[in-house]
Amino acid sequence: MIGDAVERSLRSPKVLISVSELFSNTAGSRMPEVRPDLLTDEVARRVLDACPTSALKVEQVAGRKHLILNYGECIGCSRCVAASNGAFRYAEKFACCGVSKKALIRRWDIQSRAEVVQDEPVLSEAAEQIRSLVGRALNIRQVDAGSCNGCEGEIIALTNPYYDLERFGIHFVASPKHADMLLVTGPVTRNMAAALKQTYDAVPSPKLVVAVGACGCSGGIFGGSHAVVGPVDAVIPVDAYIPGCPPTPSMLLTGILQVLRRGGECI
Amino acid sequence: MTVTLTNGEAGVSRALDLLRTANTRLVSIFGSTDDNRVRRVHYLIDVNSREYRMLSSPVTGPIPSATPIAPAAAWYERELHDQYGIECEGHPDPRPLLFHENWPENVHPMIDDVSNVPWINDEGQYRFLRVQGDGVCEVPVGPVHAGIIEPGHFRFSVVGDTVLHLELRHFYTHKGAEKLFENSPVMDGVMIAESVSGDNCFSHAVAYCQAIENAFAISVPPRAQAIRLIGLELERMIAHIADVGALCGDVGFNVPAAYNARIKESLLQASTRFFCTRFWRGIAVPGGVTRDLSSAETGEFGRMVTSAAREFQQMARLILHTSSVQNRFESTGILTAEIAQQLAVVGPVARASGIRLDVRRDHPSGRYRDINVDVPHYKYGDVLARARIRIDETAISMDLINETLKELPAGSVLVPVPLSGNAEALSAIESPRGELLYWVRIRDGKITRCHIKSPSFQNWPALPLAMPGNIIADFPLINKSFNLSYSGCDR
Repeated sequence: MIGDAVERSLRSPKVLISVSELFSNTAGSRMPEVRPDLLTDEVARRVLDACPTSALKVEQVAGRKHLILNYGECIGCSRCVAASNGAFRYAEKFACCGVSKKALIRRWDIQSRAEVVQDEPVLSEAAEQIRSLVGRALNIRQVDAGSCNGCEGEIIALTNPYYDLERFGIHFVASPKHADMLLVTGPVTRNMAAALKQTYDAVPSPKLVVAVGACGCSGGIFGGSHAVVGPVDAVIPVDAYIPGCPPTPSMLLTGILQVLRRGGECI
Repeated sequence: MTVTLTNGEAGVSRALDLLRTANTRLVSIFGSTDDNRVRRVHYLIDVNSREYRMLSSPVTGPIPSATPIAPAAAWYERELHDQYGIECEGHPDPRPLLFHENWPENVHPMIDDVSNVPWINDEGQYRFLRVQGDGVCEVPVGPVHAGIIEPGHFRFSVVGDTVLHLELRHFYTHKGAEKLFENSPVMDGVMIAESVSGDNCFSHAVAYCQAIENAFAISVPPRAQAIRLIGLELERMIAHIADVGALCGDVGFNVPAAYNARIKESLLQASTRFFCTRFWRGIAVPGGVTRDLSSAETGEFGRMVTSAAREFQQMARLILHTSSVQNRFESTGILTAEIAQQLAVVGPVARASGIRLDVRRDHPSGRYRDINVDVPHYKYGDVLARARIRIDETAISMDLINETLKELPAGSVLVPVPLSGNAEALSAIESPRGELLYWVRIRDGKITRCHIKSPSFQNWPALPLAMPGNIIADFPLINKSFNLSYSGCDR
């Protein structure tokens, strides 16, 4: 019977998704995207009312009104999409994966209906070091610091035949001592804070930490709970962030490759 | 679903009396504070698998423990103490459950101010049960495990490879979810519910929404009920397919493991295509669902589900006929019917140990009221039985989805829900892991208490009792065959 299984597998059509199709793809994540040409004060007011977290804000900057969307706090509830008269829609693509905390925040000038472009974030020193040391290979240790297991499901999906993370020379390892990168999910609970710190300490330097999911980036829906310490960077230093609730496998892959600045070379 | 309520001072003793009688099953014990801030204890008991009986009583001092009568009460009463400071006299194991050593013992989050709880540096002081004797070793595992799994601690006492005793220590992912519901508007609570256990998020969302709808006596449009059934059964299929694949991975049979991961992914992509979400987040809201299917989509979606389920059935036949799989699955990790009964185990784990419980048949709600659901069961209680249950149920779920798609009622999918008012209600559904209940109390349109009875909280204490006599190398397999959610348990 084992022979049958192998034969069946060999005969089944290939499902591997190409990198160009995967990179920055956010389909199925329900992350919103702003269409600046449709932005009005009325839309801004309505989406602000609709947002159950503090992902959306309006700020006065030098006499101009800015609409701010922090992807790190967005749980993809899609209420803004429903309330915005078409000014918000589900994003098919975006590049806010594997970026600095600052780059998770995007802003639009409501009057001029244009995005306020910010400086390109600088790659952390550790990321440069790892990049020069490991070349094309990377070992990842995943740590659940209190997540709902939504992110874990999607991280496991990275190893399935559609995404096949191993094709990039990237592996999940069992011990932090073998790891170059910690992929940390969840709001860090009080009960996991000590274990997360110890795991971080066990990873040899140089090391990278990537915070995953709305909870990992900002505490998400659990921010402010008595049983939660906060986002990952409240407990250990974080180099890059992947938003989403949960981030889809393609967002995770984009984030991991982006941290290594391998997006361009892979496509 | 039938719910009978009893209120009054004698609630505790009447609940204990009821638990002593035959054909009763402890469903949950939880606390609340009433409008005058007086603590109350609630016992939820299933009578004859047909009726949920809830007995409530105000609490002023210690109450007698139900654990000596119904061992299934053990964790509920420890949680009751941690959350509300209610002492259960005669409890055999009164250690803290939800909080670890960094939490002060006299702070109870549901009644005390938790805005600034001090950090106690007492790590490592937890008392595990010590097994002593010649050649007995302790093996600590976790909370950070080797794979991509949630955190929990397992303390094995072994002689050689053979496990004598396993003790669990959980609640590493305790996020205070029940407290977070407090003061949340009824429409917002569903987002917390979706984040209680991510892989069962649609079950949690539907259970929460039904509780709100029961509280306000709203009838959900039949079309919305049908779409909810499709989502619930699809979630069950996805969970079961992934579990059977992971079991193969744990015995080193990688081809079906990869194949099942691929089938699972095809279903997630079908969800993305027709519902814009991989896990059906945001689809269930109080009053109905947010997304409808057109008649063209109905056919295409049904075809995708059917082809995935057929592929899985072929793969399952192959798995069950492979001798190395049979060798590892058979008679491994036996949970006897007697222990399963005492610990009031639910879901596929119960059905694999000969206990035929299924909320869809016993306490149906929504569309399940109008249909018959087959409840397969096996008597051996080993890994093989738990795998078989999942294989059988995947086929049943496929049939339920196809029948529902064929007869999708016409009409709207969403009705408005009152945003103010006072009410209390219970709802129950069969999640992929078993009986899931939400109990809500609403004041002025806001949740003031939400209790979640999760199947994982119920089933975790049974896992250590399936371990003795097995070798430690079989633990991942046995654990996977239970497939319990850490976050769903810890909340």
